[in-house]
Amino acid sequence: MTHVLETERLGKKFAGVPALKGVDFRLHAGEIHALIGHNGAGKSTLVKILTGVWPAGSYEGAVKLDGAAVSFASPADARAKGVAYVPQEIQVVEQLTVAENLFVGHTGLDTAPRVSFRELRRRAAELLGRLEIPIDPRTSVAALSATQRQLVMIARALTTDPRVLILDEPTASLAGTETDRLFAVLNRLRAAGTTMVFITHRIPEVMRMCDRATVLRDGEKVAELERSDFSERGIVAAMVGREVDHLYPTRSSRHGEDEVLRLEHVSVPHPLHARDVLRDVSFSARRGEIVGIAGVVGAGRTELLSAIYGALPHTGTISVEGAPKRLKTPADARRAGIAMLTEDRKGTGLLFNFALRENITAGNLAGLSRGGWVDRRGEQSAALGFIRSLRIKAPSPSSDVAHLSGGNQQKILLARVLMNAPKLMLLDEPTKGVDVETRQEIYRLILDLADRGVTLLVVSSEIAELVGLCDRCVVLADGQIVDEFRRGEGSEARVIEATTTAVATGAPRP
Amino acid sequence: MNLLQRDRPGAPVPAAVAAGAEAGAEAVAAPPTAPNRLRRALAVSEAGVIAALAGLVLVFWLLEPAFLSGTNVRSMLTAVSFVGIIAIGQTLLLVAGEFDLSVGSVAGLSAIIAAWLMTKGNLPVPLGILGGLATGAFVGLINGVLVVHVRIPAFIATLGMLYAARGFIYVITNGYPIYPLPRSVGEIGSADVIFGLGWSFVLLVILAVIADVVLRRTTTGRNLYATGGNEEVARLVGIHTARVKIACFMVVGALAAVAGMLVLADGASGTPAIGTGWELTVIAGVVIGGVSLFGGVGTVAAGIVGMLLLQVVQSGLVVVGVNPNWQTVAVGLIMVLAVGVDIARRRMSLAGGAS
Repeated sequence: MTHVLETERLGKKFAGVPALKGVDFRLHAGEIHALIGHNGAGKSTLVKILTGVWPAGSYEGAVKLDGAAVSFASPADARAKGVAYVPQEIQVVEQLTVAENLFVGHTGLDTAPRVSFRELRRRAAELLGRLEIPIDPRTSVAALSATQRQLVMIARALTTDPRVLILDEPTASLAGTETDRLFAVLNRLRAAGTTMVFITHRIPEVMRMCDRATVLRDGEKVAELERSDFSERGIVAAMVGREVDHLYPTRSSRHGEDEVLRLEHVSVPHPLHARDVLRDVSFSARRGEIVGIAGVVGAGRTELLSAIYGALPHTGTISVEGAPKRLKTPADARRAGIAMLTEDRKGTGLLFNFALRENITAGNLAGLSRGGWVDRRGEQSAALGFIRSLRIKAPSPSSDVAHLSGGNQQKILLARVLMNAPKLMLLDEPTKGVDVETRQEIYRLILDLADRGVTLLVVSSEIAELVGLCDRCVVLADGQIVDEFRRGEGSEARVIEATTTAVATGAPRP
Repeated sequence: MNLLQRDRPGAPVPAAVAAGAEAGAEAVAAPPTAPNRLRRALAVSEAGVIAALAGLVLVFWLLEPAFLSGTNVRSMLTAVSFVGIIAIGQTLLLVAGEFDLSVGSVAGLSAIIAAWLMTKGNLPVPLGILGGLATGAFVGLINGVLVVHVRIPAFIATLGMLYAARGFIYVITNGYPIYPLPRSVGEIGSADVIFGLGWSFVLLVILAVIADVVLRRTTTGRNLYATGGNEEVARLVGIHTARVKIACFMVVGALAAVAGMLVLADGASGTPAIGTGWELTVIAGVVIGGVSLFGGVGTVAAGIVGMLLLQVVQSGLVVVGVNPNWQTVAVGLIMVLAVGVDIARRRMSLAGGAS
C-alpha cells in the first residue's frame, strides 16, 4: 500500500550529534496521525524536514509523497507540492482582515498587479463556509479570540489545497471548550478526506482524535500504534523507554530544614494575551535543597524562574528566608541573594562585545572595584580562578567567547552566577547543548553547591536528569503544578504521565 | 558611581572556586602566536583609524607643505574642539546603545539661554554658564526619558528635539543675535591658553581623557558597554540600564552645552545659528573612529581620532585647492568607507578566530 506521505530511514545530525536516526514515518490517506514525543525526541526535526525548513540534501534518507520521492527546497516548495504547516505560535497579521490574512503571501491572487478585494472576500467566505467556521471574512483579525485565530491559521494553510496538513500543538494555547470547537473543524476536515499530522503533548487528545500514532524518543521511532492499540499507559511507556540509569552522581548529604524560598499563589500574566502563563503556583524550597522543575516547553518553567528572579512581573508572594521580598527587577533579586542561569545562552546570556573575563565579571564588579575603579588585576585572577576550577577550555581570559563550545560557554555563565555568591540559584536548562563530559561536571557542581547550603531550582527537559539529581521534583503543565514528589518516589514515567494527561482546564492534583 | 553596590560577606562560595580565584596569575594561556598577535593589533579599535589619519596627513603634507603650518594646524584643532567635545558624549551614548540627533540644537539653545541670562537676566557670568549647562542636561533628561521610558525610538525623539530646541532659540531671540555680551565672555573666547590654542581645545583634551578613562577603567564604563552590548543581558546581571542610558543622554546634553557656550565665547555673540548641522558631523566622525551604531563597541579616543580625520580631510581639500563643494562629497564617502572597512575587519577577525 502506498502512503500519502512517508519517510525512509530519515536521519539528521546537528554538529555531529544525531537528532533523527533512521525514522520511517508513514501517513495513511485521510487519517489524523498523532506525532508524540518528549522535548528533544526529534519531532520538530522530523517536521522541519517534512515542511522543507531543512531542505533536501541536508538530511539522510528519503521523503516520499504518494509513493514518489520528493525533495523540498524550501517551505514554499513543500507547500506548493502539497504539505501545509500550521505553526504552534499563532501568526496572524493583526492589521489585516480575516480574508486578507487567509491569502497573505499565497499564490494565485498576488501574481495579479492589483488585488481584487471582492474576489478575496468571496474566496474567503467560500473556504470558511466549507469548514463551517462562523467568522465574517471582513472582520479585523485583531478582534478575534485565540481559537478563532487558530482556525484562521488552519484555513490559511488550506488555501493551497494541501495533501497533508501538519498541525503543531494546535491546542497549546486553547482552553477546554475552545479545543472542542477546533476538534469539530478537524473532524469535518477528516470527513472531507484531508490527511493530518497532529503534534501534541496531551495523550487524552490523542485518544480522542487520532486514528494512528507515531512515538519518537531520542531521535528514533519507538512505536507506531493503531487506534485499537491506544492506551494511555502504553503511550507513556513508549515515550519513557529506559529506566533511570546511574549516570547521575548521588548526593551524600541531606539538605537543611529552614526554608529559603516560599512561593504563595504566584501567577504570571501572558505579556500579550489575556491569560496566565503561570497560574497560582505555591511551593517552597529548603536550604541546600535541589528542586527540579519538570514540564514541557511552554508549561511555564522559564516563567517561574524569571518571576522569582524579578525579570517578569508577577502577582502573589515570594519570600526569601521567611521575609516577603519585592522582586521587581533582577537587581532586587540579586540583592536578595538570588542568581539565575539563562536557558538562552546567545540571546540573554553572553555578551559578545566582551571577552571571556568580562563576561564572568559582568554584574559582579562590586567586589572587584574600589570607588568605582575596576581592579583589573583582581578581575584577571578571578577569571583565571574560574577557568581553572570549572576547567573552562579557552586560550586565555581575554579570549573571544563567540568561538567557544557550548559547554565552555555554559561554564562561563555558571562562573558569572557563582561569582555572585547566591544562596538561591535558578538554573534554566543547565545542560542544554553541552557535551557529555561537561554535563557530568555540571551535575557534580550542582551537588557540591547543595552540600554547601546553596538552594537550587533546576529546570530541565531531560526528565531522567531531574529524577536522578533532585531532592524533590515539581511538575508543571499549562502553568500549574500538576505533580510533586520526593527523591526516590518519582520516575520518568510518572513525570511524563503527569505532563501528558493534564487537561488544560484540569485542577492541580492534591 | 557604582550602580551595583551589593555586599554579602559570608555568602557561600564553593571552596574550589574561591581557592581558584585566589590563585595567582600564572597563565593558563599559551603565548600568543604570530597571527594571533597581528589579529589582536588589528582588533585594537584605534589602530586602523590612527593609521588612516597619519596616511592622510602625510598625503596632504606632500601635496602642500603649508598643510602642516602652525596656523593651519591650530585652526584645524580649534575647529575640531567644539564638535569634539560633543563627540565625547555621543561616543558614550553610542556605546550604551543609543544616539542623539539633537546635539547641535541643544548646543545652540544652551548658548542662547546662557547669553540671555548674562544680559537680559542680569546674572553674573558663572551663573549664566551654569544655566547653560543645566539647560543641556535638562534637555538630555527629556530625551532620555522619552527614549527609555516612553519608548520612542531615539531617532524620532531626538529628531523632534532637534527641531523643538532650534525653535526655542528663535522664540527667545526672534532671530536677532544677543549682543553685546559681558566682556569676560569674549575674553574666555579669545584667551591663548597653550601654543596659541584656546580653552575649547584644552577642555576637549581634559574631558576626552577623563571620559576615556571612565569608559575603560571604571564600573560605570563597564556598565555602559554591557548595556550597549545586550540590554537584556545587562538588565539580567542587575545593571539599571534605564539609569545608565538616561545618564548618558544627560552627559551628551551637558557636553553639547559646553560646546555651544564655547562658540558663544569665541564669537562674543549669541547667534541663533550656533550648532547648526553639528549632529551629523559628530555622528560621522565617531563612526569613522569605529564607534558602533549598534552599541557596545568603541572608545572615546577612537571617536576623537575619527573627528580629527574628518577635519583633516576637510581642511586638506581646501589647502590643496580642491573646490570646497567636494568636501561634503568626501565626508560622505569616507564615512561609508570607514564603516565598510570596519565591518570587513570584524568579519575577518571572526573568521580567523574560528580556527
